[in-house]
Parts: sequence; structure tokens; C-alpha cells
Amino acid sequence: MNGDYNAATASGRSPLPPGEPVLEVRDLHVEFRTRRGTLRAVNGVSWSLEPGETLAILGESGSGKSVSAQAIMGLIDSPPGFITEGEIRFRGEDLFALSEDRRRRIRGDGVAMVFQDALTALNPVFSVGWQIAETYRVHRGTSKREAYAKAAELLDRVGIPSAHERLNSYPHEFSGGMRQRAMIAMALALDPEVLIADEPTTALDVTVQAQIMDLLTELRSELGMGLVLITHDLAVVAENADRVAVMYAGRIVEEGTVSEVFTEPAHPYTLGLMHSIPPLHRRVAALDPIPGTPPNPARIPPGCPFHPRCAFARQHCREVEPPLERVGEGRASACHYWEEVKGGE
Amino acid sequence: MFQYALRRLLISIPVIALATFIIFGAVTITGDPLQELRQAPNITQEQIDQIRESRGLDQPFYVQYWRWVTDIPTEGFGDYLISPRPIWPDLQRVMGNTLQLVIAAEVLAFVVAIALGTISAKRQYSVFDYATTTISFFGYSMPSFWFALILQLIVVQIFFATGVRIFPIANLSSADPGTGLAFVLDRMHHLVLPVISLAIFSIASYSRYMRASMLEVINSDYVRTARAKGLREGKITTRHAMRNALIPTITVAALSFGTLMSGAIVIETVFGLDGMGRYFILQLGRRDPYPIMAWLTVVAVIIVIFNLIADLVYGYLDPRIRYD
Repeated sequence: MNGDYNAATASGRSPLPPGEPVLEVRDLHVEFRTRRGTLRAVNGVSWSLEPGETLAILGESGSGKSVSAQAIMGLIDSPPGFITEGEIRFRGEDLFALSEDRRRRIRGDGVAMVFQDALTALNPVFSVGWQIAETYRVHRGTSKREAYAKAAELLDRVGIPSAHERLNSYPHEFSGGMRQRAMIAMALALDPEVLIADEPTTALDVTVQAQIMDLLTELRSELGMGLVLITHDLAVVAENADRVAVMYAGRIVEEGTVSEVFTEPAHPYTLGLMHSIPPLHRRVAALDPIPGTPPNPARIPPGCPFHPRCAFARQHCREVEPPLERVGEGRASACHYWEEVKGGE
Repeated sequence: MFQYALRRLLISIPVIALATFIIFGAVTITGDPLQELRQAPNITQEQIDQIRESRGLDQPFYVQYWRWVTDIPTEGFGDYLISPRPIWPDLQRVMGNTLQLVIAAEVLAFVVAIALGTISAKRQYSVFDYATTTISFFGYSMPSFWFALILQLIVVQIFFATGVRIFPIANLSSADPGTGLAFVLDRMHHLVLPVISLAIFSIASYSRYMRASMLEVINSDYVRTARAKGLREGKITTRHAMRNALIPTITVAALSFGTLMSGAIVIETVFGLDGMGRYFILQLGRRDPYPIMAWLTVVAVIIVIFNLIADLVYGYLDPRIRYD
């Protein structure tokens, strides 16, 4: 009833061939053309996500991590945003080549997204149950009653007590943590294969943050979906992700498993991030921040974009942009002198 | 929701009470109601004294007010100053006619403005957007009596050119309006031009508000969420965005209802309609304070009722407002 895509998914999706990534981003470029010039937000980002894997995309605000996620979901308003290059493949299918209607059906169904601030991301004038049920009704075309029953089930699943009574509550009647749980329930409505969580815990209290991350990790392993975790929080990455891609000025500067990247950074930016964490068992007079500020996306420096802030920089870095190169098993770094960085710890 | 409605209703009672006090005070201080009579050559001093006594005009202000306000529920608004005819039946008749005009104009303005504002916002900076902006500018700055006259002229010119009367340019009904459905259709036919003339200003104003609030809403996080859920663009606009964008527009529409009532005074005069506007101007000329006070009270009540309706619509649209 909803076309061939849903006919296939409703009866259980066909399994992916082993080793095939469920979501793949290749050489993505996104720019925003504004009156004050072109902001190059994403400049050639590539990564892939295996089924059931958690990939963290780590970066400061303005590094292009959220924009790349929005490009996957097709949420970039154009104008001013333009995807100028690259492709995004979901189950091997190039999303940019699909019709708008087919892409729309993948949204929420194949790939779902959880946003940062659930208070503004949920519509204030509809009840939580209605908003969850809507996803289900639109994609599956079920009756209202069935969709509400599903919504209650989902709220229960994400740990909202007396879920059935809370269906008719409005977002403002929920606490911050409960709203984020409801947001997650909404994203999970259709058993997506990929869940993109854009700073899912940033707006929450520290204790609630841990609960929400535990919930996401638990649901991921239970449902076998791939999780893309977009965050600036090193602790969240360390505790929850399998692999991490570090972004700087719209590029990936380092990629690898979390344990390797955290213990042996192969890029000066990652190294700087690690130094900026306060040590737990040692008194320090002052933290060791990275000098300077991230570049304005309208004026990214030539050569390596990190060179003005880098202690390892030399003439070569100012002239030649380092490509993201393989530096080991499943590891990549975009630094001309990565060996020096890695060895010099 | 019921509690919310009840609370809004109870709050309106002191508002109306206060309005009657201000009306009575303002009308009383404008002068002696008997002044006109004193100058009339065929009225004797005895007659004037008798009127003064029967109306209680020799009493202190608060006694007069109390007497006037407590008589409203039982006696309507009493009689005219000179002729012993009751005010209420006249007022009731003109109020019915005016409400037909004003409500039709408000509904038309609201519906058209919502559509124009929404499309303008969805296609910001398009030809359509610029065109509505420009036309709204004209609609906003045109005096409604002038626009009404232009409409009348156009209809008359068409009649001269083709011999067809598209719309009547005066009166509320034909000489022989018929009954039942025929009467209603005849009335609607007569109201077309007045309603358009009256609505044009409101369309211009409401559509600007709708465009602005729609623009704010379509860039909000929850609209992005709706898109991420895979909803169709049309559903996102009509369901998720519009419901939120309507809230400020309804405020403006409700608060402008008074403006529309005063606009009706002008329009009724231009089209010769037997409505509240014409009645008010007629009574002003007669310097009779009683129908004026009655008229003002009725308008106050109408405006309070429309604010009440707006409050209830708010409560329906925005659950955050129903504090219960």
C-alpha cells in the first residue's frame, strides 16, 4: 500500500550481504551560500557504518558534524544549503538519486533521527502519544487505535512509567529526560536500521545523560541497528562508541576505534582534545586547551585547516592540505606528520 | 479545558461591569442631556422638569448610574429621551444586521489571510510573496470608504456597459426579498460588496501576521522533526506548522474585531445599510444619550464575547495555555 519499499520492509528487511555497510557517506560537500559569502560547512567527509555498530562523530560546534547528519536525512534547506558533491548510500542505494517521495519514505523508516533539544524538537501543540503514533500511521497506514497501542508500547520500551496514561500528555508536561525518551520512542517507531543521534544528551542533566546513553546503547544492541552518535562530549564517545571519526573544519581529521584513538591519537587536534580533559587522579593548576579558535567556515585557512593552532605545523602544512590516509588497521589520519604526533606522546 | 473556559467566562463579568461604568461616566460628562430640549421652542419648562425627574437627572452621579445599570436586565435600555419608544428592539434589529456584515467580513478576512500568509511564507521572496506584500500595502493604506466607492463605481460602470447588475450597491435586501432560502440568498447578494470593502483591510493586516508567524514556525525544530519522520511536505505545513502559526494570528484577529466594528460604521453609511453604524450616527445627531450608552454597552459585550471566543480557540490550539 505504501509502495515497494514498505512492502519489503514491513515483511522484514532483506538481510544485507556480510561486510556491506548499511550507511555510507562518500566525499560529502555541503555549503551554505549566504549574503556574506559561501560557508563551506562540510568539505569531503567519508565514513561508513556497519549494521549494529556505533560510530561517534566527534567535533566542536561548527565542525560540520550536525550538517552532515542533516544531509543524510535530507533536512538541509536549499537555499541556502547545497550539497555540491558526494553521495550517501543507504543499503547500497544512492539517496541523492532517489525520487523525493522514495527518500521521504526512507526518512524515519530506514534512517531515523533523535535531536538535541527535545523540548523544541517535539511539537508543543500535539500530545506525545499522537506524535509517536503519527510516524506509524504515515508510514504503515495503520488505524489510529493500532498506532496508539504501538505508541504506548514504544513509550514503555523507552522506560516511561505508566506509558498508557502518558500518551495524552503534552511535551511541556514531561521532564527533560522523559521528553528525550519520548523523542527516542518516536525515532524507534518503525525499527529503523540506522539511528542518528545528534547531541542526544547535551540538553540534559548529567545523571539523566547517563540514563539516556544507556538506553540508546541497550536499544541498539537489542534491535541490531547502527547508531551514529554525533557529539562533542569525549566521555560519551569513550563509553558508548565502537569507532570514532573526529571532525575539524568540515573534514574528518582522524578515524579509528575508540580505544586506539583515545590512547594513541594520530592527529594533533585529537591530541589537543585529549589534553583538554581534566585528569581524575592528579591535581592540575590549569587545563591545557588548544590555542586559538576553530576557523570561520567562510575563511578556512589554506593547506591543513588546523595549522594555525598546531604545535607540529611547519611550512608544508601551510601549503598542502593533508589527505585522510590509512595509518594502520582501520585507522586514518589527515596529518602530514602523524607518525610524529603518535610517537611523541 | 472546562475549568479554563469557566475561568475566562467569569473574568468577563467584571470587565463588562467596568465597561458600563466607564460608558455611563464618559457619556454623562459630555453635557446635559436636556440641553437640546431647552432650546426647542415647543417644549415647556414643566415638561423638561418632568423628564428630569422621571429620569432621575437631579440625583447624584452614582445614583443615576446605579439606576441605569440595574434597569438593563429588566427593561432593556429603557426608552428614548423624548419619544416613549423602547430602545432595545431598534438596537436588536441593527445589531443583527451588523453582525451579519462583520462576522462575514471577519471569516472571509481570516480564511483568505491564512491562505495568503501561508503561501507567502512557504514561497518567501517569490513573485507571489512580493505581489501579496505590495497588494497588502495598498489594502492597508486604502481608506475603506474610498475602496467601497470604487467598487460601487465599477459595478455601476459594468451596468452601464452591459446592462447587468452584478451586485446591489445599496440596502440589505431587495424590495421584495422573498422568504426562507430566497431571503438568505438575496441578503448574501446584497452583502457581497460591503463585506469585501470591510474585509480588505483585515485581509492585508492578518496575512502579514500569518506570514511572519509561519516563517518563524517553518524554521522551528519541530518542523524539522516532522520532516525527519518522513511526512509529506503538505502535511507538515497544514498540520505541524499551521496549528502553531495560527496562535498569534488569532490574537490579532480577535483584538481587531473592535476595529472591524468601527469600520462597519463607515461601510454601512456608504452602502446605506440599516446597521449599528448608521444607527449610532443617527442617534449622535439627536443628542440623545440613552441609545448612545445602550449602543456602547452592546458593542462592549460583543467585543468581550469575541475575546472570549479567541481565548477558547487558543486553549484548543495550544495546550500550554489551558492551565488546569
